[in-house]
Amino acid sequence: MRSRGRGRLWRSLTLRLGVIYVALFLTSTALMFGAAYWMAVYRPLQNEAQAVRREMGDLAAIDRAGGRDALIRALITREASGAKKPFHALIAPDGKPVLANLPSWPDEALDGWTLLEADIYRGGQEHDYEALVVENRLDDGARLIVGRDVESIDDRDELFTIGSAWLILVAACLAIGGSVAMSAAVGQRIDAVTRTARRVMAGSLTERIPLRGTGDDFDELAATLNMMLGRIEESVESVRRVSDNVAHELRTPLARLHADLDELSAARTAAERDRLTEQALAEAERLQSIFDALLRIARIESGRHLAGMKPVDMTLLLADAIEFHMPEAEARGQRVESDVTAGLVIEGDPNLIFQAVSNLLDNAIKYGGEGGLIRVAAHREGEEVSISIADRGPGIAPEYRERVLERFFRVPATAATPGTGLGLALVNAIVGLHNGQMEIGDAAPGALVTLRFGAA
Amino acid sequence: MHILVIEDDARVAEHIGKGLKSAGHLVDVESDGRAGLLRAAAETYDLIVVDRMLPNVDGLTIVQTIRATGDTTPVLFLSALAEVDERVAGLRAGGDDYLTKPFAMSELLARIDVLNRRGPAIVAETKLSVGDLEVDLLGQAVRRGGRPIDLTAREFRILAYLARNEGRVVTRSMLLEHVWDYHFDPQTNIIDQHVSRLRQKVDRGFDTPLIHTVRGTGYVMRADG
Repeated sequence: MRSRGRGRLWRSLTLRLGVIYVALFLTSTALMFGAAYWMAVYRPLQNEAQAVRREMGDLAAIDRAGGRDALIRALITREASGAKKPFHALIAPDGKPVLANLPSWPDEALDGWTLLEADIYRGGQEHDYEALVVENRLDDGARLIVGRDVESIDDRDELFTIGSAWLILVAACLAIGGSVAMSAAVGQRIDAVTRTARRVMAGSLTERIPLRGTGDDFDELAATLNMMLGRIEESVESVRRVSDNVAHELRTPLARLHADLDELSAARTAAERDRLTEQALAEAERLQSIFDALLRIARIESGRHLAGMKPVDMTLLLADAIEFHMPEAEARGQRVESDVTAGLVIEGDPNLIFQAVSNLLDNAIKYGGEGGLIRVAAHREGEEVSISIADRGPGIAPEYRERVLERFFRVPATAATPGTGLGLALVNAIVGLHNGQMEIGDAAPGALVTLRFGAA
Repeated sequence: MHILVIEDDARVAEHIGKGLKSAGHLVDVESDGRAGLLRAAAETYDLIVVDRMLPNVDGLTIVQTIRATGDTTPVLFLSALAEVDERVAGLRAGGDDYLTKPFAMSELLARIDVLNRRGPAIVAETKLSVGDLEVDLLGQAVRRGGRPIDLTAREFRILAYLARNEGRVVTRSMLLEHVWDYHFDPQTNIIDQHVSRLRQKVDRGFDTPLIHTVRGTGYVMRADG
């Protein structure tokens, strides 16, 4: 599964995120423990120390005022009264203890706060004590050590030290393990996308990113990318089809043109030359019109035609278009019925819209049959202007309704009717440029084409 | 007419030169934009045919430059840039007509003819007459031999355009451009049907037809048959 090298592993975002996650997790755990330690251990210890310092001050004062005996009495009284066990040691200047309930003390004078082990054996049992002591030298050089039991705080200290070490170790393991697992899981999904993309790039357009079916973010991303791949595959396929068609559609008139010119060079009579010249010109014109239409479609589809956008009076435009095509319809004995609401205005390029409507009318007349009826209707529907053109010809079978919008596609049955198969593709491109919609339906009988544009 | 052709494609330039010469024009050809501009500025021509895309100085700049000097010589653009906005750009730059490549020589000659006739001064004509046909541009009325002829608005515009260019060939694309205010490609040769309807109203029942078809090119209005 893993195709990443060591260098890439370190560069990988998921790994970096994992490391950051572990660092943040450990920092926050340490801060939490620090705060708890401060509250549970450090501050109570400070409080005890202050109390001991006050007692030391009092005892030293007693010693100065009442002499050594008063001090000894005070020490004995103190030992009897304290809720927490009070410790003391009075050591004569020659080093001999005068009075002490501490089991031991260092020979050197203590400087500042000190914790002393003060375990006491009583009745064969060891009682654990920890004394927080401070030392003062009395006026005659005797040492007075006074302290209090902080065993409970010390226990807490120990618990915290060992407990937090273990907890941080376990948390670190969990965080590292979790982030590695997370990084691997995310990495795997990303690898899947990367692998698919590479295969698509290598030319396998049908590849899709596998979905887990969990509907998670990655599934959603994969589904979106798959849709994108689908669209790309479709458009590549359509480009391929179009270029095949272009090749075919242009080759045929080119071949005919070639044949005409070939025969022309061998023509013997003026009449024959005239006929061949005319044929050749007609082929050249046909080639030119195919070429122009293709270029126009490409240009419109690439959205380079937006400059001419302005309000277009569709009522007027449709009347002009119908009038333009009227002679053609009449020549075929067709009637054109128009049901157009007055004052329909859309935002668009009038020349292109006219081209689109003209192409549709031309189709309706061409395929509408002798003596048929062509109906042009245009109305406002909410925020849209809908324009429909219907004929009573054979119509377009449902299976071809999408495909007739492709360049060069012609419904098989219409092969005998002259045409390039570009008319509807051009209409479709024009409608697309105007953010409109084009629907091909059934006029039962006949074809019904509906265009919808946003009303201006 | 003395015509300057500025066209960089040797084959096209030769084709144009030959066609114009056989139509009786005097032709100078330049294949480079800068040389063309210098020549247009140095000599007096009746018409300039200029390509849009030229080496050194492009066609638009040539026309803008000569117009800036007050030169009103008619200019016809001949270009492969065929879209509406390109044509508009050409006409805005000071061109008088715009023909797209590939083109038919007959179309070029017809347009040159019409441009030439337009002449230096634009006279506001209100009445045109061709033989016994009278076209009242203000009243939008047509009479032939004293008899009124009823035309649709569009037919009237076709007739007026043909009458204004009496004796000159008017091509289908010229009609489409001048009579319909839309620039588009009709899928069929429907212009012919419009003209044939007009012809029925104008020529039917009269001894001499006024509207004549020029095979492969377009139409011409002429009183002398």
